[in-house]
Amino acid sequence: MVSRRAFLQFSGAALAMSAVNKAALAGLPELVTIDNADTQKLLYPETGRPYHPVATLNGWSLPWRMNNGVKEFHLVAEPVRREMAPGMVAHLWGYNGQSPGPTIEVVEGDRVRIFVTNRLPEITSIHWHGQRLPNGMDGVSGLTQPPIEPGKTYVYEFEAKRAGTFMYHPHADEMTQVAMGMMGMWVTHPKNPNSMKVDRDYAFLMSAYDIDPGSYTPRTNTMLEFNLWAFNSRVFPGIAPFVAKQGEKVRIRIGNLTMTNHPIHLHGHEFEVAGTGGGWVPKAARWPEVTTDVGVGQSRAIEFIANELGDWSFHCHKSHHTMNAMGHQVPNMIGVSQRGIAEQFGKLVPDYMQMGETGMAEMVDMAEMMSMPLPENTLPMMAGNGPFGALAMGGMFTTLKVRKDLPKDFYGDPGFYQQPKGTSAYEWAGALPEAPQAPVPAKETPAAVELQVKKPGHEHAGH
Amino acid sequence: MVWQPFVAPFRKAGLAAVVLLAGCATFSHDAGFGEVQNTTQQYIRQKPVWVTTDAQKAQNDEQVQKLLSTSLSVEDAVQIALLNNPRLQADFYELQKAEASMVQAGRLPNPSFSMLYARHDGDYSIEQKLSFNIMALLIAPKASEVEKRYFAATKQAVTQRVLAVANETRRAYYDALAAKQRLHYLEQVKGVSEATSELARRMQAAGNWSALDAARERAFYADTKIELGKAEHQQLVAQEALVRLLGLPNAEKLQLPERLPDLPASQDSLKQVNPDDFSKRLDLQQMRASTDALAQSLGLTKTTRFINVLELGPVRSLDGRRGDPAKKGFEVRFELPIFDWGTARVKRAEAEYMQAVQQVSAAAVDAASEVRTSYDLYRRNYMVAQQYRDEVLPLREKMAQENLLRFNGMLISPFELIADARSQVLSVVSYIDALRDFWVAETQLEQSLIGKPLNQERN
Repeated sequence: MVSRRAFLQFSGAALAMSAVNKAALAGLPELVTIDNADTQKLLYPETGRPYHPVATLNGWSLPWRMNNGVKEFHLVAEPVRREMAPGMVAHLWGYNGQSPGPTIEVVEGDRVRIFVTNRLPEITSIHWHGQRLPNGMDGVSGLTQPPIEPGKTYVYEFEAKRAGTFMYHPHADEMTQVAMGMMGMWVTHPKNPNSMKVDRDYAFLMSAYDIDPGSYTPRTNTMLEFNLWAFNSRVFPGIAPFVAKQGEKVRIRIGNLTMTNHPIHLHGHEFEVAGTGGGWVPKAARWPEVTTDVGVGQSRAIEFIANELGDWSFHCHKSHHTMNAMGHQVPNMIGVSQRGIAEQFGKLVPDYMQMGETGMAEMVDMAEMMSMPLPENTLPMMAGNGPFGALAMGGMFTTLKVRKDLPKDFYGDPGFYQQPKGTSAYEWAGALPEAPQAPVPAKETPAAVELQVKKPGHEHAGH
Repeated sequence: MVWQPFVAPFRKAGLAAVVLLAGCATFSHDAGFGEVQNTTQQYIRQKPVWVTTDAQKAQNDEQVQKLLSTSLSVEDAVQIALLNNPRLQADFYELQKAEASMVQAGRLPNPSFSMLYARHDGDYSIEQKLSFNIMALLIAPKASEVEKRYFAATKQAVTQRVLAVANETRRAYYDALAAKQRLHYLEQVKGVSEATSELARRMQAAGNWSALDAARERAFYADTKIELGKAEHQQLVAQEALVRLLGLPNAEKLQLPERLPDLPASQDSLKQVNPDDFSKRLDLQQMRASTDALAQSLGLTKTTRFINVLELGPVRSLDGRRGDPAKKGFEVRFELPIFDWGTARVKRAEAEYMQAVQQVSAAAVDAASEVRTSYDLYRRNYMVAQQYRDEVLPLREKMAQENLLRFNGMLISPFELIADARSQVLSVVSYIDALRDFWVAETQLEQSLIGKPLNQERN
């Protein structure tokens, strides 16, 4: 829900409030904020040039006001609470009530004025990542402008010269502020609404957080070992699905503001990278793909025809990025029997459960069956249920749901796909043909250890 | 060692007595043991029994066996010691010896100089000379009075001994219980360390862990076994100390409960003491009795004034809680008479007497200091144990719960979970130690209120 509230009633306005007086803000566009993490209704332009709006995954687009032909936006940098998935809330910094901030949508050639109010406890600035603009509007604190002090409002103004997918983020104490979730998308639509036209245009940013299980606030000094890999500060099972009617042309714009690359993979379809942060890719330069790597600070707009019915996974192909918080130091227990040991441990820790002997999937079952409690504000490492059981996923994972019939404006969840009879994988009940084995080298076996390879269902007595 | 505080004043009193052989006392039916029993009853509810006949022995044994037949409480342990401690039984004969001396002295109409000499060789040869001088001053009723006081002093000394054995037994009981409880937890640690070590071995055998990782866990287990061995010996030492005090042949029949008594719920339930109240301090009472006896023996009769051995003015009462404004308490008096020294003839007597007064004064100052020290230790040990109970253990438990949650989420390994659980157990062990220290401090406080503190070293 987008709410239009008076500045002074704004929640979370405790910081630096006194420094921003109402009179000073009287000339600003009305402040618009949002208080939930759902995908909001598309923002169709009522003024200015026409365009086909984007759907921001678990997010929204910022309304503007026209002021003598200039589109005026108002961004407020402030602490926010972001639900990353049901059952887990992060204490982040963001814009206008959420992290990431709202998507700013303009049209090629628009004159844009953005008011940026700082309600953080420290300085900030906004860098308009990828834009052609006057140097003084580039938002690099110290280099192109003074920092925006807490309580102050700065104005950025420039012409959106180039159509494409952009991002915005602070360029003052950048490492901390980005690690706290400060970022947003910017889409500049082509002047001609029929140019590059698609039926559904999605947009999201990738961000990563290190939130210790049991806590709420990211550890901003973490450089690599993040434990929550997010699409628009949401993690599976909290990420909304992409939906499309069969045959629709779909574009997904992806920006990467994490500290590592993400090979984004779509099931069931091939796509082309139609755009980058630098603009549209010439048709002749595109090639079909099922995975595209999105580097740090890059954006990609992939396009495809959603012609295959079903629920298709869409995820980062780094498998640990499709997990929620996990213990990196936990050793591999596969093939290690705890018979006789778990009982001993149970004497000291009555609720002790042996785990890991057959892999980690059992953890999902146990969590389900035993409803084993986890630390406060902590998502299971692997979660989510489908029509066939546990998905055992987390992080950067969601689905593309292609349906025969879907209203044009429907961006909700159509539920699980009903697979037509005879098109599902099934359990074989008959006799098995012989399965050829890879040839075993005739060498002598070097160590007893190598004989310990486990076959499921075979009991292994410790030796 | 423990015998010492009893023997010293006993001999001192004895000196005065044998010097003044006079009077006409007769043997009592129990050599004053009934009086000892009665006095101890003012302090403890257990009764000492002096076993002098076979029938008594049988009855005593039966009672001891009965007390041993169930889980032993601290009070029952004290009762067994008072029935069965062989050293205590030996001490009871001091009563008989003292009474015999007294009666014998009363039956001697004309004590001779030579006999006195025989009784007083060594350090007391000067005393002998003095005794000769004083002899002339004495008349029979006075000598009889001195004998009575001497006998009273002996009874008090035996009473003190009984109470000291009671307190020693309490201390040994708490020590033995704590050592046993400690052992129980260290056995738990050993059990899980063994399991962890085995799991580490399996991890290595499966190829999931290196020899280094496995060796680390197994080395920890080896250390744990050594620690457990030490604790087992400590448990035996503590138990044997108790066995000795109870006069048992061995620990076979000893049934100690599983746990130490709980810590009192709050500081309000702690004992309050006034360190300047000597009314229960038997050793001081005995010294005063000796001083009186000395005055009698020196023929000092004309009291001129009294001196307070502590020179106490209005005292600040120590009862009440910390933080309460100090209350004005009653004035505690511990006074001794000062005599008219008269002529130079009694200069020697004056020296004798005033020396004794100074010694009582020193003992009283020591006593007050001892009580303050034990009282402070008692309260401090309470606070330490309380902190373990109310803060450390709940926090440890919280950590264990949180770790289990992390283990559930596969955020930590079983090795981390168990390592933390082990350290939780070790803080329980620290609490047991603190709880034992509290109960022992209470015993020491009790003892300091009635006599010299128990030896610091444990039996």
